[in-house]
Amino acid sequence: MNSLLFLHDADVLPGPVGALRLLADDLDVDVPRHPGFGTPHDATTAHWDSVADLAQHYLTTTTDTPRHLAGAGFGGWIALEMAVRAPHRFTSLVLVSPYGVKLSGPTEPDFADILLLDPTEIIELGWADPTASHDLRMPGHPADLPDSDHERAFADRAALARYAWKPFLHDPRLRRWLHLITIPTLVIAGSHNRLVPPRHSAALADLLPTARYLELPHTGHYPYLERPDEFHRLVRSFLRGEAP
Amino acid sequence: MRLYHFTEMPYPFVPPEAEEAHRGLKYFMPNRYYDPVLGHQLYQRYLDEYELADELGFDLMVNEHHQSASTLQVSATLSAASVLHRTRRGRVLVLGTPLPHRESPVRVAEEIAYLDAVSGGRIDCGFVRGVQGETFPSNQNPVHNLDMFIEAHDLITQAWTRDDVFSWEGTHYHYRYVSVWPRPYQQPHPPIWISGTSTRLVEWTARHGYTLCNLLGTYEDTAASFRLYRRTATAAGHPEPGPDRFAYMALCHVAPTEQQARDIGRKLMYYLKPGRLRLGAASPPGYFPPASAVAALRGRLGAVRRMSYEDLIDAGILLIGTPDQVTAQIRRLYEHTGAGHLILMNHAGDMTSNEVRDHLTLFAREVMPAVTPLGTDWRDHDTTWRLDNDHTPVRAVLSSALS
Repeated sequence: MNSLLFLHDADVLPGPVGALRLLADDLDVDVPRHPGFGTPHDATTAHWDSVADLAQHYLTTTTDTPRHLAGAGFGGWIALEMAVRAPHRFTSLVLVSPYGVKLSGPTEPDFADILLLDPTEIIELGWADPTASHDLRMPGHPADLPDSDHERAFADRAALARYAWKPFLHDPRLRRWLHLITIPTLVIAGSHNRLVPPRHSAALADLLPTARYLELPHTGHYPYLERPDEFHRLVRSFLRGEAP
Repeated sequence: MRLYHFTEMPYPFVPPEAEEAHRGLKYFMPNRYYDPVLGHQLYQRYLDEYELADELGFDLMVNEHHQSASTLQVSATLSAASVLHRTRRGRVLVLGTPLPHRESPVRVAEEIAYLDAVSGGRIDCGFVRGVQGETFPSNQNPVHNLDMFIEAHDLITQAWTRDDVFSWEGTHYHYRYVSVWPRPYQQPHPPIWISGTSTRLVEWTARHGYTLCNLLGTYEDTAASFRLYRRTATAAGHPEPGPDRFAYMALCHVAPTEQQARDIGRKLMYYLKPGRLRLGAASPPGYFPPASAVAALRGRLGAVRRMSYEDLIDAGILLIGTPDQVTAQIRRLYEHTGAGHLILMNHAGDMTSNEVRDHLTLFAREVMPAVTPLGTDWRDHDTTWRLDNDHTPVRAVLSSALS
């Protein structure tokens, strides 16, 4: 059975959520939790402070057998860092509205400030239909969680800040190596995503020599949560090498 | 007891609808609301008031905040230079330089040494972590705030006290050649002050024997922080810390009648409006331990901001009344906490210069002589905060009122 390593985004519940559960019907889907998310940093990871550290971590802890690589948002950034370092290790790459590459000028932020905005604002910007949002955890969201869950959400935010505070949600060194990613690549963006605007994902796809760009209508930053059936169908056919 | 005059130098001309639209006056306020001519006049007025306070016998405190209409002091060391130039007598307390938000600790060491040198040792040097929201103007990673604070402090104190060129290749700061000119006038270095309430920071301050300052906390929380300090200090082998190791900052206004004091003093509530910052700014990722962040979320932090004007006066966070009433409040503060330094925030918002000057003059004439002797002979007194008398268990304090 083929295997898929899926690197999760910030603020998303752990495990095979949404379309990832559907993909697991005929793929071995691995959704590891990034160090610092869900559990405290340990002695090994205490000083990690960059996405390069996370990329190195996954490259050294996963098997050498070629597998499919995918990542969403923050996880998409990690996947990009892995793909430029070891493109031969992966059969294909799926990126869902990844952070990680800055394309605009210095006075124009590429991404919404997810480390400042309130959960209601993030949902408003991140969903085509904000009233239908689900499977997210943020400090104070959902409001009725016990204190221990909110503590975990704050700790996850701290882990994200540790890796992504400055430069904000990107690595200035990443763009110059994107031409090395020559494996089959699919970049997916939701038409209503205002956390990572679809035009950013489209421009990023243009910098990847073999990437195809797909924009899903009526969906935001989390298409695998908001339109799981369509996301599953598209990714499954891409992984099988079928024509679009 | 030493008494310090302090104003944050607010810019009180931002339209209320702009304050509403930008969730308060701080960090995210467009500077189109600042008028350069009005700003110049304000700076001169505030420095004139520092000059008067110095003549009346107060010591003086300056601070800094960033991108904020509630504080036009942009660098505590720059403000200290201005105040030193205008004054002759009082000590100038820099409280403080937010070390994690400054790019270069070596530059901080140079600036403090310069101030100490030109003033012949009139400087007290405060270091602070920087309030939570300052994380956004400085853009320094809040996750590393406390570690950067401690590393910057270690580098600065070495830069003041080593007499040769040295290297600093630390976690957050990197210099190959450090040798600060001038060396401080006060040897080995100016007195160091720290403000904060977190357990790790209070214990660290106590082990170093620095002066600990509580800003606008309840007396109970303040006493709890100072208790932790006293026990940590003695456990580390220091003698019992006296009142000169403890400072408290309160808002203050005295007038000839209670009614007058309360009418004008109400303007001091400017600094205690409920915070309207986003949670991400009030509690940036990693700035607080998760349990404190949840307390902030649940509204258990900054409880002072939800107290009424009358309750704040009763609690002594607002020192407001006739000279006799304020004298009694300050005695209560000393009896309760053992603070030997009192920083008086004598101005807020649109309080007029005459209101500030009348208050300073009356305070200096009637309150200052009555409270200055507090704490001078503390070893002869059997107060509740003395180590031998205080058996209350140590408990953690979440945070002071300011954010």
